[in-house]
Amino acid sequence: MKFSPRRVLVIARREYLATVRRRAYVFTVIGMPLLFGGLMAFSFRQSGGERHGALASFHALGVVDSSGLYAHAPDAIVTQASHKAFDEDGQQDTFTIAVRRYPDQAGALAALRAGEVNQVLVVPPDYLTHGGARRYVYGSRMFSSGDEGPVQRWLARGLLAGNVEPARIERVSDPGKSMALLTAQRGGEFQIENDKSEVMSFLLPYLFAMLLGMCIFTGGQYLMQGVSEEKESRILESLLCTVSPEDLLFGKLLGLGGAGFTMVGIWIAAGSLLAGQAALAMPIHVPPTMVAVALAYFVLGFLFYGSLMLMVGALTSNMRESQQFSVVFSLLNFSPLFMITSLLGHPEAPKSVLASLFPPTAPVSMVLRMNAPSFAVPAWQIALSLALLAAAVVVVVFIAARIFRIALLLYGKTPNLPEILRWARAGA
Amino acid sequence: MLEVRGVVKRYDGRAVVDQVSFQVQPGEIFALLGPNGAGKTTLIRMITDILKPDAGDVLLDGRPAFESKDKISYLPEERGVYRRAKVIDAVAYYGELKGMSPRDARDATARLLERVELPETATQQVQTLSKGMQQKIQLCTTLIGEPRLLILDEPFTGLDPVNTEMFEQILQERRAAGATVLLSTHQMNKVEELCDRALMIDHGHVVLYGTVREIRRDHAEHAVRVQADGAIPKVEGVREVTAENGATKLMLDDDTTPQAVLQALVARGVAIQSFEVATPPLEDIFRRVVHGGRAGSAAPAAAEPALTGGAR
Repeated sequence: MKFSPRRVLVIARREYLATVRRRAYVFTVIGMPLLFGGLMAFSFRQSGGERHGALASFHALGVVDSSGLYAHAPDAIVTQASHKAFDEDGQQDTFTIAVRRYPDQAGALAALRAGEVNQVLVVPPDYLTHGGARRYVYGSRMFSSGDEGPVQRWLARGLLAGNVEPARIERVSDPGKSMALLTAQRGGEFQIENDKSEVMSFLLPYLFAMLLGMCIFTGGQYLMQGVSEEKESRILESLLCTVSPEDLLFGKLLGLGGAGFTMVGIWIAAGSLLAGQAALAMPIHVPPTMVAVALAYFVLGFLFYGSLMLMVGALTSNMRESQQFSVVFSLLNFSPLFMITSLLGHPEAPKSVLASLFPPTAPVSMVLRMNAPSFAVPAWQIALSLALLAAAVVVVVFIAARIFRIALLLYGKTPNLPEILRWARAGA
Repeated sequence: MLEVRGVVKRYDGRAVVDQVSFQVQPGEIFALLGPNGAGKTTLIRMITDILKPDAGDVLLDGRPAFESKDKISYLPEERGVYRRAKVIDAVAYYGELKGMSPRDARDATARLLERVELPETATQQVQTLSKGMQQKIQLCTTLIGEPRLLILDEPFTGLDPVNTEMFEQILQERRAAGATVLLSTHQMNKVEELCDRALMIDHGHVVLYGTVREIRRDHAEHAVRVQADGAIPKVEGVREVTAENGATKLMLDDDTTPQAVLQALVARGVAIQSFEVATPPLEDIFRRVVHGGRAGSAAPAAAEPALTGGAR
């Protein structure tokens, strides 16, 4: 393997400038955060608004009490809810649901059909011993449970009404009200876990892993497209007279890696500027060591997937074909996201450790594990994971350079696996 | 000076280029000839270090050619330029790869664009230009950095006569500047016009090597071509007379010399306008050598693997 640093830099500069001037790159830099931010804001708004909306449209509950247990139950359910996902300012709306009693189920359901009540609750005669109350509603409740809590609280209150003092009834109906959850942090101290920090402890590593994966993958895609394009437009032959395949390989990796860094840099800078004080108020704490380690994973991950993508770009005969191959790498790179609950919830589990040591999944897996709350990844695991990834990068770059040399001049047919293996062994 | 010493390239045990040796001097335009699949492209790829020879050496000015990548330029037959780049960027890039500073590369590009009469295209995207213009841009990418060795594969294909003449003039200029020019083409008239010497390979072997004049002379028929006022009488020692492109071709007996025929014609009072030994055009020699080689070979020799699929 031989290369000229001067030529590598010239190629890297050209690749970098050609990439950052592409419309697709500019669109990714601007469009991706907008898309993700928009989707997340929409999703939070939805989750906050869902309960609020369900209660706002719940005016009356029809009750058929066959058990006789609810003779003294209240005739209205008063409940409160915020329309925001995070109830940080305590501003809540009050909703009152009227309770209408019906002597039988048929009458109650007729009222439901007529729209006089929104739901019907049937309490069977043996409710005290067997439970088995039935709730009748219109529409699917697959993603909606905002209206269930008030009904359950009414059942609890009604059961005790007239037998127990009101304060006790109130507490029984909502025993966990304002209960604080304190979780152990990496340093061993306990900290209050509120809704916001709970979501952040999931969201931050998820976003971090996504960002890392996206940068590795987007950069790799550009590499692959670049080589495919140069092959298709027959530029390579004249280029290879002046530069070695190794110059080309390293120049492209460097240039496109730089474009990936620029993308991340812009996102972080823009995010910091836009979020401003709001970001400071968020319960986010990213230690500098984590940033350094994430950076190392980014560089090694990019080199690993970038070399593989370059190899695919050189081996395939056109862009469409190379993109089909890239799907496999994409799945491999993002596969840790499929086991995110394991990596964040049980970061010490053997399968989590394995995923963060296995080079193709190490960058995203380790970043997720490192962000898991209440858990500090042992330093030796990070060191071993980085060492394994670095070793894998050396092997992949070496093989890629060998195959690259031959495959670049191959037009018209994608070689089969035995041919590729032969080239990897023998070189040009 | 380019020196190719006994280079060999084998694929699947078959020699595609077999023990080929030749030298090309500075200031020389040298033709590399051969039928399709003869091994020319493989040979060029070994000279340009795109492929490694299995045996033999390629030297430029006494040093391995792969150490002098900055001094070698190659215009392949299948051409391509960065289509989305601006012309000036596309050309200057090659200059920088050859060791020029960005400023020098851009200045050199401007000069080259002037030379190929396309200065106004500097800031245009390559893909907006016509095919002929793109071909000139590709020539500029080859010429930038004033390479010592210029390898051109079918450079005239697709060019109109005016641009062909411009390309020829540029090659002559490079020759005058001391560059070594290796020209691979099937246009034999261009070889006769431009080239000092030629090498022809077939089935990976050298079948012709020498000056164009020597090659034509060596393949000359035993005949003379005469142009004269009036009819040419039959003279002793001439076994056959045929008309050929406004001249008369006289086939001579084995023991008759052209000089004897000239003397006999003058003695007979023929007003001779021109008299020359009838050497065949290079195209005929090419055809004859290829046909002769194929007729003579009992088994098919190793041909260049098809461009599609095989490792080259």
